[in-house]
Amino acid sequence: MIDSLINSTLLFAVPIVLAALGGAVHRRAGIVNIGLEGQMLVGAFIGALMSGVSGSWLVGAIAGALAGAVSGAVMSFVITRLRANEIIVGLGFNILMLGIIGYLLRSVFGVSGTLQVPGLDRLPVIVIPGVHDVPILGAILSGKNPLFWLAVALVVVLAWMLSNTRWGVRLRASGASAAASESLGIRTLDLRDSAGILAGLLAGLGGVALSLGIVGLFNENMIAGRGFVALAAFYFGRSRPLFTVLACLLFSFFDALQVRLQTSGGFSPDLIQVIPYVAVVLVLAWTGFSVYRKRTRIET
Amino acid sequence: MTRDLAMFSADRMRAAGRRARVVTWQVGVPVVIALLIGAIALAATGTNPLQIYGMLVAEAFGGTARIDATLAAATPLIFTGLAAAFAYRAGVFTVGVEGSFAFAGLAAAVIGSQVADLPPALAVTFSLVVGMVAGAVVALVPALLRAYLGVDEVVTTLMLNFIVIGVAGWLVQTFFLARGQANSATAFVWENAELPALNPPNQANVGLIIAVVLVIAYAVWAKRSQLGFEFQAVGNTPRFAVAQGMRGRLVIMTALIGAGVIGGLGGAAHTLGIVHRYSAGFSADFGFTGIAIALLARFNPVGILIGAIAFGALNAAGATVQLFVNIPIQLIGILQGTVMLLAVAQFAVPRLRSRRQRTDATTPAPSDTSEKVIA
Repeated sequence: MIDSLINSTLLFAVPIVLAALGGAVHRRAGIVNIGLEGQMLVGAFIGALMSGVSGSWLVGAIAGALAGAVSGAVMSFVITRLRANEIIVGLGFNILMLGIIGYLLRSVFGVSGTLQVPGLDRLPVIVIPGVHDVPILGAILSGKNPLFWLAVALVVVLAWMLSNTRWGVRLRASGASAAASESLGIRTLDLRDSAGILAGLLAGLGGVALSLGIVGLFNENMIAGRGFVALAAFYFGRSRPLFTVLACLLFSFFDALQVRLQTSGGFSPDLIQVIPYVAVVLVLAWTGFSVYRKRTRIET
Repeated sequence: MTRDLAMFSADRMRAAGRRARVVTWQVGVPVVIALLIGAIALAATGTNPLQIYGMLVAEAFGGTARIDATLAAATPLIFTGLAAAFAYRAGVFTVGVEGSFAFAGLAAAVIGSQVADLPPALAVTFSLVVGMVAGAVVALVPALLRAYLGVDEVVTTLMLNFIVIGVAGWLVQTFFLARGQANSATAFVWENAELPALNPPNQANVGLIIAVVLVIAYAVWAKRSQLGFEFQAVGNTPRFAVAQGMRGRLVIMTALIGAGVIGGLGGAAHTLGIVHRYSAGFSADFGFTGIAIALLARFNPVGILIGAIAFGALNAAGATVQLFVNIPIQLIGILQGTVMLLAVAQFAVPRLRSRRQRTDATTPAPSDTSEKVIA
């Protein structure tokens, strides 16, 4: 019971973690990415398609990531170069991606919603011999797919890059104050585009983790709000990679728990789905409150 | 004196002309690009785009019944567009109209299915008022957080949408589930709580009249009332306006809750006028489409009406065109998404912009215009 709970928490966290890490970096650069949902959808679609065409999960994953990156670039250009509001762009982007993919599914593939890709190669499962049968530890470490390990590595790499590389420091500077960093000669818009492309890439991989890692087919509604859960996660984790991932694990745990409890009866799945969003509102309220308290304390 | 006056009015006319050009450009470019992308999608899948677009126009406006369907589809969008415009005028950027719309829809469905004994006028009014209250309740938390703790309203309102959908689903499942329904849906409202159709059996109903009256009221309010002026002042220059004695907090609260009330009225009218019950997927992104409409219209009342009818026409025509040509309705999503994606994009107005930029070359270009675009 515990083992399977841990296993499904981690498995279902991978898509959200990947997308949320991308969103967190984008947020650090000063842009709130509402389009993660659409970018995940693109990644899941192209990933499933190319995996089927090539018969190789690796090709599928790379193709899904690249497709996500391209869609992220398009979205980012509209925000940075055409100076449009990021929220509207993100909402429109999601509708557009759902529209394009839904249109292709029906007109090119002749299916309504669900695409069974023939010859689809799913992500392999990495079983670590020796550890696999150890209770709990085995559920944590063994039987995971490559994208899980990529996500684990990314937490460390991204945290390091944000704090130690020139790119990371400048990125955060442009997020903290675009005007100030521009006056120092930092190319704010380029940095924001790079973050937007990275966010798209990671969200695309998140989609791949869903279509090739968990489900094994493509459905136009398969993202089912995970992009927004990712958004909630990086808000909850204050856009720091480690905390963002912890938030994802928390949300994913509730999700896994909900599936278990549903079978035994009791909790409403509708209410459990709401938890991430309530958490974000609470965190924002708490942040606002502490800022408010600090301010009034200084004044008196 | 008279010469000054003549010059003044000539100046004004020139300014108005320039503004009209800019607006046409800013609205025209997204629409044209959307049509082009849609045309590419159609042509790539072997259909003649002009033929499909022609059919869409014919289906949207050809004949009384079709115009009626377009207006019925436009009705919820007038409400949501107006709600968004109302808040944005004060520089408050709510994304939460979607949630208010849905929650009010549920509230109206619940009330409407309980009022069998009331006279129609009372049953309708009661349901609508409860809907408005429900819409306001959804907006209350973000409004308080923004006005008193300065918490950014964009994310809180966005989150509230998801919270509302979940809570509404739970409420329906636990308390209001209609017996014998396959999907989770409430019971249908009683006939005396329905908003009567204007031209039965077509769908456009009294809700449309309420919406139009509301738009007119908004136009008058924005131009003539003190609060309307304060909205604009706070929206344009928040700190200056507050320093001048404008009631910043009141404006923000009114903007957010007002948007909730208007969106709520829209949701209630949608329940009572069109669908007659609440079920999962009640709002087909009406709140989000309303945002695009409000921004494209630049908060102008006439613009909101035109935008709502245009998007309503797309929805109504898309649904029927799909029936006799083999065109996936997702085409409408492509068009709508593109327009929204580019709704607030700043396309350089050719010549005009470049000339002005040359004279402004000494002043640094605004780096972070994302907020300004909205305000």
